[in-house]
Amino acid sequence: MSELAIYFDSSLCTACRGCQASCKVWNELPSPIDFDAGKDTFAGTYQNPPDLNKDTRLIITFKERERENAYGIDWGFGRRACMHCTDAACVEVCPSGCLHHDTDGTGFVVYDVDKCIGCQYCRSACPFDVPRHRGVGVQGAGIKIDKCTACIDRVRHDRKPACVGACQPGALDFGDRDEMIAKAHERVDALKAKGFEDARVYGETEMGGLHVINVLKYDVSMYEPLPDKPAKSPLVDVLSKVAKPLGAVAAVGVVGGLALTYALAHGYHRDKLYYDEKNHDVIDTDTGEVVKHIDKEAGER
Amino acid sequence: MAKRQYPERVIPRHSLKTRITHDIVAVTCLWLMVSGAFVFVPALAAAFPAATQFFRMSHRVMGTIFIVAPILSAITSPRGFKEFLGKYFVKWTPQDWEFLKKFVPYMLGAKRVHMPDQDEVKSGQRFADGLLILSSILIAVSGVVLWLGTSVFHASAGVLLAMRTCHDVAFILLIVFGLAHIYLGAGIFQPYRGTSRLMWGDGKVTEADALYHWGFWARKQIEKGNYEEVKK
Repeated sequence: MSELAIYFDSSLCTACRGCQASCKVWNELPSPIDFDAGKDTFAGTYQNPPDLNKDTRLIITFKERERENAYGIDWGFGRRACMHCTDAACVEVCPSGCLHHDTDGTGFVVYDVDKCIGCQYCRSACPFDVPRHRGVGVQGAGIKIDKCTACIDRVRHDRKPACVGACQPGALDFGDRDEMIAKAHERVDALKAKGFEDARVYGETEMGGLHVINVLKYDVSMYEPLPDKPAKSPLVDVLSKVAKPLGAVAAVGVVGGLALTYALAHGYHRDKLYYDEKNHDVIDTDTGEVVKHIDKEAGER
Repeated sequence: MAKRQYPERVIPRHSLKTRITHDIVAVTCLWLMVSGAFVFVPALAAAFPAATQFFRMSHRVMGTIFIVAPILSAITSPRGFKEFLGKYFVKWTPQDWEFLKKFVPYMLGAKRVHMPDQDEVKSGQRFADGLLILSSILIAVSGVVLWLGTSVFHASAGVLLAMRTCHDVAFILLIVFGLAHIYLGAGIFQPYRGTSRLMWGDGKVTEADALYHWGFWARKQIEKGNYEEVKK
């Protein structure tokens, strides 16, 4: 299968959040009101829930600003979910092999929940702060990852991801990644021609190439927390490529070194000593020989 | 001429509370290293995901005991804690430096290399135990942030990665100095036979062992009459 991608055009998104609802329906994710942005009072945003959580794999982000030279405001609607990176830091740090790229070659980052050990390393490595976990608590048992899988179960049956299928204004699309990139460039050119100079394609090269191709109508700050230049933390490589081999070398080196000292000390015999505190003599009890005299007057001890 | 019989004597070295604290920390540390290895070593986590979940939970329980036990011990025995610190933060004598210089040759040739007399805590012990304690503090602090930062509060990705780095570095240090500590402290190394009694037995050291390992300290204790004769 060729590489696939979800296409998102922020300039066509109306923030109806049908995609959010559709994601929940297909993936059987509950919507407890505990996560509502403003249960009792308006929280100052229509973004709801405020961020991804254990039951929410996809949200539409809201950002608004006053127009500088015209009446009204600009609305920035962003699609916040897993970006399905080619150079996926989460896959690199996952110790159990739970997170992996789809073996069909779609490029999507999927997971085997049975293999998740709940370490949450993926969350700390993701430059988009996407992975969330169920069962999180101080006791630490039963923690399991939950994030967008690009509805790989649907894709394998030639269906679009649930969010794409629900999009009324046509902001979302799905297909061959190269085709989605071409479509995105075409749209960005059209936006620039209309005067949206900051419009850009986001996802073509970021993190080795994302499998969510975004058309950003405005500059990236309108789609927070989307980073302008996402990058894998150098600590990810330190942890996976340096610390683990170093730990192995250290363990083998120490055990080997100690084994060598053990072998070299084979047959070691130590004389049994006694200290005559009156005469300040250290005596070998087998031979009765004074092996050391402590000259107290000379300051020895 | 009849061979002179020398009395067998032992010198008290570690109190019951010190031994209990040490043993709790040692057992929990070993458990933490094994359970931590299930996350640190990808092959183990991949092979036993269910067991790894259990180990991760136990890691938190044992981690709490690992942190609380020495703190509780220090709080309930402030004088003992002060004495403990006093043994480690001392001015280094020429014999201390000589000991450190000779340590590797000694380990490789204990039959030939003779070590200088030492005070209550050898310079090598001060160095290795110091690193063990520092590693333990580092691993404890980073562990608490990793634990609570992913459960009670939402620590940032940068903080979590930094704490993981600290945790892994401390883990590697603990592997190195912990294994060496076990090898010597448990008396596996032939010249150190008998030392396991100090922390895992009655806390007393035989006169011969004390004179061999901590000559200055042993003679001082005997001169002060701080020893017990073993009844045959």
